[in-house]
Amino acid sequence: MKRYWQVWKRLAVMAFLMQFTNRWSSLGWLGGKFVRLAFFILFIVSIFRHVPSVAGYSLEAVALFFLTFNLVDIIAQILIRGIYMVGRDIREGDMDFYLIQPVNALFRVCSNLVDFLDFLMLIPVVGLILWVFPRILAGYSGEALLMNGLLYVLLCANGLVIAFSIHVLVAALTLRTQQMEETIWMYRDLVNLGRFPVDIYTPFLQVILTFVFPIAVMVSYPSKALLGLLSPQKIVLAFALSAALLAVALESWKRALKHYSSVSS
Amino acid sequence: MGKYWAAFSLSIQQELYYRASFLMERARSITVIIAFYAFWSAVFQGRDTLLGYTRSQMFTYILGMNVLRALVFSDKTWELMHEINTGKISSYLMRPISYVGFCLSRDAADKATQLVSSILEVALAAWLLKIPLYWPAHPATFAVFGLTLALAIVLYFLMSYIVATFAFWTSESAGPRFCFELFLEFSSGAFFPLDVLPRIFQSVFSFLPFASLLYFPLNVFLERITGPLLARGLGVQVFWAVLFVWAARRLWERGLKAYSADGG
Repeated sequence: MKRYWQVWKRLAVMAFLMQFTNRWSSLGWLGGKFVRLAFFILFIVSIFRHVPSVAGYSLEAVALFFLTFNLVDIIAQILIRGIYMVGRDIREGDMDFYLIQPVNALFRVCSNLVDFLDFLMLIPVVGLILWVFPRILAGYSGEALLMNGLLYVLLCANGLVIAFSIHVLVAALTLRTQQMEETIWMYRDLVNLGRFPVDIYTPFLQVILTFVFPIAVMVSYPSKALLGLLSPQKIVLAFALSAALLAVALESWKRALKHYSSVSS
Repeated sequence: MGKYWAAFSLSIQQELYYRASFLMERARSITVIIAFYAFWSAVFQGRDTLLGYTRSQMFTYILGMNVLRALVFSDKTWELMHEINTGKISSYLMRPISYVGFCLSRDAADKATQLVSSILEVALAAWLLKIPLYWPAHPATFAVFGLTLALAIVLYFLMSYIVATFAFWTSESAGPRFCFELFLEFSSGAFFPLDVLPRIFQSVFSFLPFASLLYFPLNVFLERITGPLLARGLGVQVFWAVLFVWAARRLWERGLKAYSADGG
């Protein structure tokens, strides 16, 4: 465990130095991320100046959905950003290099790029969540507060497991085919549907977003649990789904590694 | 003209060859339609008008956003930055072809493929979801809309071209460009109509060139902007276009002087 921490720390420092060296570019990327966050918050706040609720949710609730989506997505990006470069790693031969290193190859691929810009993005997101929380939990009893709060944290962690599993599935597909890395951008697009409460979508789309691409489980369920709107069956479903997806993803990765043959010279 | 037609034709072939990239680009637009269509459907539940938009006007705006994104925002100036930073532009500069003309041909190819795809997506969405659409009552609106759209395309090309020329001075222009594009998308009304925002933001954005790209042409199509407001909007578009033509020429000339490339 200590070795893995050391490796992760070293890779994180290298990534930080790289981003710090290209500071104008990094500042631009960071600025873009802030612009997106700020405009969406402005949009949500502005729309509630004209309507009292959206799909039955108040301003605080819609903001919670949006901020939780950002929280899960940003933490996932910090931890597994390296997977986005797996195609390049394969083509340029770095993958062969990772395989002979004395650490788990999947860990090595995931940690390849620790995005510090996303660390900075966490500050406003967490700050706003802390601002929204008391407004949502104002009328809750102590027991409900503890229970819903705990479920929120656990389901956010569950969302991270789902995000990780989807990324590993794409990485396995890339390893198998030496292409298809673009599939990850399909995930990036679909996950954006989780910005708003999943209840606004048609029942058919809700089923797709729960069972086929479990974006709803990943980013909407934590907020629903905090609001006390998630049934015990759905809570069990959320954990079962992520466990199954993780098992499938890890097995796919192992099989892909067995079939892997170097493509570089 | 034949040279530019050849560049256009080759770019179309290239677009269709890299089908995965093309489809991913379209997937992004489709998710934006789905998310915002669902969101506005929820907002419009139990009401016929909001922010001065009827239901059909709002949904036409959402679908129109997809088509205009494809037509106005699709461009290849990211490649210009790459060509400057890698020195590949040297080979283009030595060819008997105007580099701006070549860029325009490449952009036109991108716009053509994106436009066809976006029209199909919108038609399919409107048919499947039975989305009520707004069609202008006056035939002249189509002509004015065409004019505002043409100016929007010119404006966006000039803006992205100007930002891309920063690559002559720094290899770190990708980040600022990302920031610029996001700001531009939001402030042009490419995610939601700007009428949603508080008055102060609307006033500021009405003087910037960004609202001229999507919000203005779409509202002309919806016949919400007419008379003096239409004339003012056209004036704003022309003003910025003239200013950007001047800035683009200056930056290109200065950039070429600052440019150097090593190796073969």
